[in-house]
Amino acid sequence: MQEKLTTIEEAIAKVANGHIVALQTMATVASPMALVRELIRQQKRELGLVVLVGGIPVDWLAAAGVINRLIGAAVTMEQFGLCQQYRQAVEQGRIRVEEISESVLNARLGAGARNLPFLPTRGAIGTDLMKENPDNMKLLEDPFGGLPVIACRALVPDVALIHAHRADRYGNIQYEPTALWPDLGIMPKAAKQVIVSVEEIVDTEVLRRNPDRTVLPGFMVDAVVEIPYGAHPTSFYPNYGYDSAFHRQWTSVSRDNDKTADFIESYINTPANQQEYLEAIGGESVLNHIANWEQEE
Amino acid sequence: MKPNWENSPAAENYSIEELIITVLADQFRNDDQATNGMGSFIPVAAFMLARMTHAPDLIWLAGTVGLEPRPKRIPASTLEAPLWKDSIMYIEQYGDAWHLLFSNRWIEKFCVGAAQLDQYGNANNSVIGSDYHAPKVRLPGTAGLADLCSLGKKLYYWNLNHSPRSLVEKVDFISGAGYLDGDDARDRLGLANGPQLVITNLAVMDFHPDNKRMRLKSVHPGVSVEQVQTATGFELLLPDGEVPETLRPSEAQVKLIRENIDPDEMRNK
Repeated sequence: MQEKLTTIEEAIAKVANGHIVALQTMATVASPMALVRELIRQQKRELGLVVLVGGIPVDWLAAAGVINRLIGAAVTMEQFGLCQQYRQAVEQGRIRVEEISESVLNARLGAGARNLPFLPTRGAIGTDLMKENPDNMKLLEDPFGGLPVIACRALVPDVALIHAHRADRYGNIQYEPTALWPDLGIMPKAAKQVIVSVEEIVDTEVLRRNPDRTVLPGFMVDAVVEIPYGAHPTSFYPNYGYDSAFHRQWTSVSRDNDKTADFIESYINTPANQQEYLEAIGGESVLNHIANWEQEE
Repeated sequence: MKPNWENSPAAENYSIEELIITVLADQFRNDDQATNGMGSFIPVAAFMLARMTHAPDLIWLAGTVGLEPRPKRIPASTLEAPLWKDSIMYIEQYGDAWHLLFSNRWIEKFCVGAAQLDQYGNANNSVIGSDYHAPKVRLPGTAGLADLCSLGKKLYYWNLNHSPRSLVEKVDFISGAGYLDGDDARDRLGLANGPQLVITNLAVMDFHPDNKRMRLKSVHPGVSVEQVQTATGFELLLPDGEVPETLRPSEAQVKLIRENIDPDEMRNK
């Protein structure tokens, strides 16, 4: 098996300016945040972002001027509110949004993964999403005489960014039994390259004990990096919950562009590695706090 | 312990959130399946209340992820793992979950919030303003709403801020299809069901069976028909005869919500 283990710098160097980057994420759940910070540190520009429902990573990428378009179903941090930097960028026309519903995104990526020109859905019929997106969504008669469907054009991202629980050095990726988000089932299979950060690199023998937990085979993965707490401040169950205080810290500065720039400098550009980042966000006491999410709730 | 909820008298002391929760709970039957999205404290409270009272077998798929969970109380998020604590099954959201959602056999009813809702029940969670690519306000986006609205589901909208800004004549953007421009417009696209009720801090509305315009169904205790009409951005149809008063929550329902379901008052967030 080919070695896939590398450094975060080399892994993210595979992302070129202008690429379409598909990001595993939910409002406050399971985002590859260390990989996202590295995109900002390497000053990527004009990326297109694909998200199902994006939260704080979208806001950070918008704030740092990394993305200029977004394909997705929603952007919100749920209990922490709207993503203000993203919102401002869209309202000023700096980020162009191709809003599609969840089933349309599912179909677009599914078609990409299966090398089909499109897949159909009946979701979103009658909405203005179609009107704004005639290049990727077209009403199609059912050749078998039933009701019309929407043909959703294949979407093939250049790169998918994923965070997972563990992998071996050959890029075989495992997930603990937890809620599985779509990003994992379909998205990486549609993308040309897959970059994964994991909580820990283990010996292949460890994976062999629970092959049912392996979600991506190494041959599909281009780079794997070991980043403990790599999803902070989003949740990554069962290892840790989301960091409420840090989300609130972000929302307290994100309406102000100067304070936002300071925040990005302090937490993204200055820490030279994950260890320094974890110190910056509060070190062991914060990590213990989020690891005890079951007691907190 | 089975609460003694039947024959409980109407509560004198209840909040508007508690009233909306009880009205939503009444929409779910024992043989329904329910699921919730993010920021859905009021629907989640309604499902939990229904399960503790008239619909003990109501199936709940928390966050479209965890089947039949047992959270001790409503946590700070309705789309994080604490909500689906001790589930029987995790359903892969958006992979497998959509097999259930697309089916016309399962999960028939949804509770939804919308930034704008118009007289035909079309919903907007996308943009405020006329220029889609330079909107006045960029809202979160449709998420799964566009799908659910077009997949023949029954939709129950809740709105804690009944105003001409949230109930508008025409939405700026249709993120979720209601009855489109009324009459049989929805049928012509082959879309079954659609919006059923709109439950706000002032009133309950339904839709006229023929022209599909929003119609006042009941006003909450202490609210006048004029007040509701003034707070609405279009002319509401009125029911035949006198407009009834919305049923108050019972004392037992309020007690369950406050003590068992949502002691942390997430419903007021």
